[in-house]
Amino acid sequence: MSTLHNTLVHTEKRGIASPHHWTRRIPLYVLVILFCIVTAFPLYWMLVSVVQPISLSLQYPPPLFPQAFTLQPFVEIFTGQDTAQRIDVWIFNSAILASITTLICLFLSVLGAFALSGRRWRGQAGFGFILLMTQMLPEALIVIPLYATIDRLQMKDSLLTLALVDTAFVLPICIWILKNVFDTIPTEIRDAALVDGCTRLRMLWRIMLPIAAPGLVAVGVVAFFHAWNEYIFAASLITDRKLYTASVGLGSMISMIDTPIDKLMAGGLLFSIFPIIFYLLVQRYIVAGLSAGAVKG
Amino acid sequence: MAVQATVSPADAVVNHKRRDYLPYMLVLPIIVYEAIFILIPILQQVVSSFTSDVIGIGTVRWVGLDNYNRLLADRNFWNSLRVTLAFMGGTVILSVGIGLLAALLLNQQFRGRSVARGIMTMPWAIPDLPAVMVFFWILNPNFGVINLFVRWILPIDQTPRWLLDINLALPLVIAIAAWKAFPFYGLVTLSVLQSIPHDLYEAAKVDGATPLQSFRYVTLPELIPTLMLMGILACIFAFRQFALIFLSTGGGPARTTETLVISVYKAAFNSFDFSYGATIGVAGFVVVFAITLLFAYLQRRQEALATS
Repeated sequence: MSTLHNTLVHTEKRGIASPHHWTRRIPLYVLVILFCIVTAFPLYWMLVSVVQPISLSLQYPPPLFPQAFTLQPFVEIFTGQDTAQRIDVWIFNSAILASITTLICLFLSVLGAFALSGRRWRGQAGFGFILLMTQMLPEALIVIPLYATIDRLQMKDSLLTLALVDTAFVLPICIWILKNVFDTIPTEIRDAALVDGCTRLRMLWRIMLPIAAPGLVAVGVVAFFHAWNEYIFAASLITDRKLYTASVGLGSMISMIDTPIDKLMAGGLLFSIFPIIFYLLVQRYIVAGLSAGAVKG
Repeated sequence: MAVQATVSPADAVVNHKRRDYLPYMLVLPIIVYEAIFILIPILQQVVSSFTSDVIGIGTVRWVGLDNYNRLLADRNFWNSLRVTLAFMGGTVILSVGIGLLAALLLNQQFRGRSVARGIMTMPWAIPDLPAVMVFFWILNPNFGVINLFVRWILPIDQTPRWLLDINLALPLVIAIAAWKAFPFYGLVTLSVLQSIPHDLYEAAKVDGATPLQSFRYVTLPELIPTLMLMGILACIFAFRQFALIFLSTGGGPARTTETLVISVYKAAFNSFDFSYGATIGVAGFVVVFAITLLFAYLQRRQEALATS
């Protein structure tokens, strides 16, 4: 009887689709494997084009598995003397840009999230709608007036200017993510601090921010990689090749016919590796925040 | 609702008599910030659409509705609207659809599920630029590995020129955009699937429902609100899409992939006609505003349903 009971509980845990024999699972595995191959192939192909000598990539048919191994493209990236194509400098610029954006964005999103996560106030819905509109607005639609104004103020070719612009677009999502995290902090904890005579800002700083630390990390990651990936403002506001961010620099190389494909792919790989790692780490927070901010409101 | 109505003791102390200004102080910097970088540029854009401002040609002057008349008569504008609609429709259906399939697949129990989930997350994490780069390479007319795959399947000698082909460019760009976008919809759908109470499936099973029926009558009703909101969200993301299209085709060949946002950018930075670009931009605002309203409306309705 108890065995039967265990089996029932066990089956229940494994979900409705749990089959009774492994052969019935073969179609599932085939589907999953097929799905993973199709999804991952472009990334795999990028890796193959980097680690095999370029002569192999340029033959037809190209070998589907690398036939030889080299790290030459990476060496070239970091030792290249051609100052017009210093991918390492571009990636460094992207890192600076993304760090500034992250700092500004963290500060402002803490304010916004704290305002949204407390008691309701008059005008809160309006504020929410403004954030939503900003989040929905295509960057390309306001690139013209922003470019004109920044050009007139002679603030072009500055990573700080670019960081300020990037922050404006990523801020709404960061506020939603953080509000969501703040909402999970029990009101008893907040109230206890307030009754003890803490001011609300002090309570935010001393009590809530330490608890919300993982959420702050998630917001930081979102802001960082928004600026890291951003293309259209970087392409229009940065004309000095020494200040190119990696997205603009690599973008300028795509259409050039003489760009060696292995070097280009090595740059692309270096550029993608950080976001992939960090997104995998904080994925749950971002999805929860995005679906709360965007899907649930 | 009941939770919100309860006033906690601390709040009562703070807010008993005077109005609470703290939230306003907190959001003021944000509103000022967004006003400077978003609102004022939008207003400038609208003003600019009533002027003639071509870089290198004389001074800025008022032209009234001239730009709008030109817009309505512009075949390229109507073309860009058609392309935008096709791109939006294609990406939304493909990315939300594949996302749903992926979520249903990952909702099963199997060995290596978290690995599969990780692999599925990767296209979402990869920035637009490297994604375009690698597809550019895969779809290269001479060296691209796609030529190999196509010859495996189809008995052809001459492969098309992929992104340079008038009939293939748009479907290919849609496919690239969907590859990048589907993981997000998949992850959101998966989180909804995992929140469906297990009892519902058990009850359906007891009532003799087949797996297909329990999907139709248990899973789908729970998913539909999310799917609708995601559909609108996907519309907006597709409408915003710039870098991916611009870098892979530049709007070509023969404007077959020139969406509205691409044509705004090209009017300004290729033709240097800032005021006409601004006019196309204003048309874009109207579209965004309409979609945002629809989104906010559906969101409200869903919340109302959830709380009632």
